Order: sequence, then structure tokens, then C-alpha cells
Amino acid sequence: MTQTLERLTADRLKIYKTSPELYEAMMVLSNAAAKDIDPELGELIKIRASQINHCAFCLDMHTRDARKHGVSGQKLDVIAAWQEAGGLFTERERAALALTEAITELGDGHVSDEVYATAAAIFTERELGQVIAMAVTINAWNRINVTVRLEPPRR
Amino acid sequence: MTTTTETTRRINLNRVSPEVYEAIVVLNTAASKDIDPDLAELIKIRASQMNHCAFCLDMHSADARKRGISEQKLTLLPAWEEAVGIFTEQEQAALALTEEMTDLTRHHVSDEVYARAAAAFSERELGQVIAMALTINAWNRIGVTTRLPLPKR
Repeated sequence: MTQTLERLTADRLKIYKTSPELYEAMMVLSNAAAKDIDPELGELIKIRASQINHCAFCLDMHTRDARKHGVSGQKLDVIAAWQEAGGLFTERERAALALTEAITELGDGHVSDEVYATAAAIFTERELGQVIAMAVTINAWNRINVTVRLEPPRR
Repeated sequence: MTTTTETTRRINLNRVSPEVYEAIVVLNTAASKDIDPDLAELIKIRASQMNHCAFCLDMHSADARKRGISEQKLTLLPAWEEAVGIFTEQEQAALALTEEMTDLTRHHVSDEVYARAAAAFSERELGQVIAMALTINAWNRIGVTTRLPLPKR
């Protein structure tokens, strides 16, 4: 892990060196959040939160991961406007994306009963807990990577 | 924007996703090392104000009072920039960084705010301030999304 991290460029702090326990805890959290969630859905949640939080490194990483998981180029192109994309996204994806947006944008409002109820109606309690966990976790990664300004690798 | 009069029961994340809850407790422990506890409470309260987490505000305001943080500081925290004589340079630098880290939807973490924090703290301290700000942001998201009930005081 540290070897991989050493290859990354951060303009600012090497936080995995100054706060190694933080990094370890984040890896544990990521693994916990990735359980019992469809990997494609997980990537869509990660990409949408990273768009809202403007995390370049995270967008670069998760759009690549999404393609590896077979998420279509069309979905990746229009995910920022998923509400306008008709039937391109499944009902589960739409419910999870609406919840992710609400969880990510707490500064602008709460998580409304409408958005919560739509997600609660379509996911089991366990699935809903894991969707929330995924949204919380990518929000934490977004904050680390934006703050230390982790740069996406040139491809 | 919803109102607090809504009483829809939401999930208990600790019950449905216990590994996630445990991981955030571990994250919290990691973020609490090598940071002044008073400073940590100010970071937690300011982020919770911006994220509108009622449960978190209730808990951390009570914790801050237990630690002896003055009523004046708690009152002026949302307007700390206008009350600079009340807050130390470290507190101001940490609060500015916390606000930008919490507000990512509107802007980035600016060079100015980052440099001020980098000048006020050692690298280890800065890493832990960042860790505390993102950890309370994670708790805020859980508290708001699952609408954790407030204890009556």
C-alpha cells in the first residue's frame, strides 16, 4: 500500500505518512462499506459524490474502475444528469444516486423523507445501510484527496 | 429542505452495518490522537453546524462544555472570522480548513487556507486536523441520514 502511495503525487501533505492510522482506518472502512453492495452501483455512488465534491483523483480512479466493472460509457457520460436520463439508470441506481446526492450536499439541506423513503422502499435494510456507508466513505476519501491535493496520474 | 417535525423512523446503521460502524469508531480513535481535545471539539461543532447534524451538535456542545470551553466561544463559533481576538491562531487556521473541507461542493480547499494551516501546525498536527475534520463529516452524514434521535436534556 505505502509503495503504491509513494508513486502518487500530492502537492501538499503526505497524509499517509503523517497519519498512518487514519489511512489504515480508512482502508478498513472502505472494505466494510464494499460488502453486500453491487460493485457497479458502488462505482456510480463513488463517481457521483466525487463529481459533487470536485475530487479529480477520485474521478480518475473510479471512472476507470467503473469501466472495468462493465459500467457503460453512456452511463458515465450522463451520470451528472441522471435525473434527466430517462430509463438509462435502473430504479435502484436512481434511488441510490438521489440518496448519495443528499448525503453529499448536507450544507444545502437535509436528507429529505422523500429521498430516504424512495431508497428504503427499494433496498433491504442491510442494502440501504451499505449504500449509506458507501456514500459516507467516498465523501471521506474525497475530503482527504482534495485537501492534500492528490493528483491523478497522467494516462 | 425538510423540517424537524417529520418523525419517519430510519435505519439504525449500527445494527444493519455493524462493520461500518466499528470502522468509523476506529477512524474516530485514529483521528483523536495528537490533537488538542478543545480544538477537536471546535472542529466537530463547526462542521456539524454546516452539515446541520442536530445529534452531533447536541453531543459535542455538551462535550465542549465539559471540557471547559467558554460559552462565548461556543456562541461565536459560527462567526469566528468576525471574532478573531477570541480564537487563537491555531483555532482560526483549523476552523478555516474545516469549513473549506466541509464545503467541497462549492469550492476547493484554497492555497491560502491550506498555507495558513500548514504554517500554524506541524505536519503531524495538520494531518490530524484534516483527519478530525473528515471524521466528523462522516459522523454528520450518518447522523443526518439515519436521523439519530436527540436525547432529552
